[in-house]
Amino acid sequence: MDHLDALENESIYIFREAHRKFKDLAMLWSIGKDSTTLLWLARKAFFGKVPFPLVHIDTSFKHPTMIEYRDRVAKEWAVDLVVSRNEEALRAGMEPGKGRFVCCNALKTQGLQQVLDRHGFKGVFLGIRRDEEGSRAKERIFSPRDKNFEWNYKDQPPELWDQFNTSFGPDTHVRIHPLLSWTELDIWGYIRREGIPVCPLYLSRDGKRFRSLGCVPCNFPIASDASTVDEIIEELKVTKTPERAGRAQDHEAAYMMQKLRSLGYM
Amino acid sequence: MNIDDTLRIVIVGHVDHGKSTLIGRLFHDTSSLPEERYREIEATCRAQGRAFEFAYLMDALEEEREHNITIDTAQTFFKTSLRPYIIIDAPGHKEFLKNMITGAAAADAAILLVDGAEGVREQTRRHAYMLSLLGLRQVVVAVNKLDLVGFRRDRFEEVEEEIRGFLLSVGLVPAHVVPISAREGDNIATPSERTAWYSGPTLLGALDSFFPARDISGLPLRFPVQDIYVGDGKRVYAGRVESGCLRAGGRAVFSPSGKKAVVRSVEKWKQPALPEAHAGECVGVTFTEELFVERGEVLSEAGEASPSAREISASLFWLGNEPLRLSARYVLKLATAEVEAVLSAITERIDSSTLEVVERHANRVGNLEVANVTFTLQHPIAADTFKENPRLGRFVVVVGEFVAGGGIVREVRSDRLGGGTRVVRLHARMMTEPDGNFIDLSREAGPVEFEISPGFVARLGGGEKVAIRLCTADQLEKIARLAFGYGLGMTFRRGPEGNRVVLSREGPVSQAPAEEGFPVI
Repeated sequence: MDHLDALENESIYIFREAHRKFKDLAMLWSIGKDSTTLLWLARKAFFGKVPFPLVHIDTSFKHPTMIEYRDRVAKEWAVDLVVSRNEEALRAGMEPGKGRFVCCNALKTQGLQQVLDRHGFKGVFLGIRRDEEGSRAKERIFSPRDKNFEWNYKDQPPELWDQFNTSFGPDTHVRIHPLLSWTELDIWGYIRREGIPVCPLYLSRDGKRFRSLGCVPCNFPIASDASTVDEIIEELKVTKTPERAGRAQDHEAAYMMQKLRSLGYM
Repeated sequence: MNIDDTLRIVIVGHVDHGKSTLIGRLFHDTSSLPEERYREIEATCRAQGRAFEFAYLMDALEEEREHNITIDTAQTFFKTSLRPYIIIDAPGHKEFLKNMITGAAAADAAILLVDGAEGVREQTRRHAYMLSLLGLRQVVVAVNKLDLVGFRRDRFEEVEEEIRGFLLSVGLVPAHVVPISAREGDNIATPSERTAWYSGPTLLGALDSFFPARDISGLPLRFPVQDIYVGDGKRVYAGRVESGCLRAGGRAVFSPSGKKAVVRSVEKWKQPALPEAHAGECVGVTFTEELFVERGEVLSEAGEASPSAREISASLFWLGNEPLRLSARYVLKLATAEVEAVLSAITERIDSSTLEVVERHANRVGNLEVANVTFTLQHPIAADTFKENPRLGRFVVVVGEFVAGGGIVREVRSDRLGGGTRVVRLHARMMTEPDGNFIDLSREAGPVEFEISPGFVARLGGGEKVAIRLCTADQLEKIARLAFGYGLGMTFRRGPEGNRVVLSREGPVSQAPAEEGFPVI
């Protein structure tokens, strides 16, 4: 068993554990490489049939290529896809010009909260990884959020020996993170090994590519000639630039990501 | 797992002994730090009017930066020429022990940091003890901050002797004890000229000598049922092979139910007919006959099944805010089994820092204490001792919604009502003959458990004796334990009638057993 096998098995174990313990589950699919890998692993865990819906929180600022890719993959893999927007905030004119913190919180965090409330989801799978940024490094695999959606990162229950905390109060929902131990390089190595289709925005065109996918106004491509998965892997082996360098919300102010996440951001 | 597969390491030790600084240093010296991160940290430090702090890399959360402590477990990644590492930073503050345990439980190996100036402190000892309770055996000690003591050999050796002595008392032998300065980079990646008297490996060299420890080979098959998926006209039993090898066509037995089955197929998605699956693999299994077993049952090969445990004695660490109480009910989770259990004995309560036995036969175990305890389970589950099979020999205790403690199984007592074990009520088998009381066990060749009644103990207390004719040496041992527990005298004789023991009692009768674990009917 190699390193990718070990990660795959760990993720499958988490999926099956969550499915056994929670009735109303959903998976957040951001269309990016991580949550698409997550979807692939869910298909493996449940022998091809994903037993819960996928949720895409559409801020309306996503690149058309992402939407095209989303609809194509959803159809091909016959998944149950729920697309949700915070229509109220959008009607009121929410956009990044109002401030990135405010916009992310309204269109993503509150957008997620709305869809959880509407469908009564008790558990949500998310494709976050510990190596992405500091506050994600502190996450548990099963991570509760209270009724106000807040993350009490100062007092998290212990998690050991794959015995997850799976019973929570009625007003709590749980975030489940099967990819927590993966790195960016693991994800790309696995995408290559398994032949998982990725959004074309990751591949270089005219000397630029996206390393992390987000909303058009707040996400910038990096200079890169990596136009295949193989070339991306070679690039990542030598890069010294962090993955989320092109994500504006990470750099707006000190601790912004931590504040967003303690309020329920993904 | 190969030597060049990722190794997960945890860094533990007393607060302020330099964990976060060491991590920053490891990153820097292995060129694993993205330049932008370095600049970010530099900017933050400058804004706060401080010198550059490596610790900020790991202490990404705001509170931690402000208070200079690590609150939770964080994981991050670096690489040597040998292999990649996942590094788990564990907080040194006493209040955060549950985070330290969360970190250490996921690790293959540990670095125990000791401040060379301060020496071994409370959390140094507590963390070392927890490593041993978590079953971590690959430990390297780094004696840090030697720059503060002028890289003096005699000071290093003093600390080395102290920590080696403590580790030995909890059953740990460090692979190496390395003199370092995390802040100045001595003996991290390259040997330091300032410790010319030291001939061992650098810290990274010591880490490279460890093995990824997640692979369990050479142990018998254990496949706990995680879930059952019904569809396409078949029942697929999903689970992970915890140890050994699961083979298609193999004969197998479930614990604790004792149900037997033949494996028809071992499956993964798009791989419906695997010949076998090894430790760590998540698979689905079908059987040749219709079978109904539930989550929590453990599949083994016939003849080497997990015992069906009705009672578990364990070493336990307690993290709950409320104390663990004698006679209270808890939920235990062991592999995929979940069972309600009564805490039937607290044999010893131990201070997790000094290792002192605080109390014997205690009523409660407090936050951060360690204890040797016995749980009586409401229904039997499959369990091994930690020594025999770590994967099936560890469990957590759940209070309300959350994990509040964990333990490793020292001893398993079988289900008295199943698994082929006969329960023999000694009082009911006693015959009174002219030459005294007599119990004949000479035909009880199979596994047995004994029970005795208070009346039986009282009769012996009244001056009567009972002779018991034995069949097996196992019976001798069990009766000796019984005698010990009830404070009875025992003599063993080998004569023409075979092997016999005589039980008797002198002095006042004790109605309650002196030792836990002996049923009174």
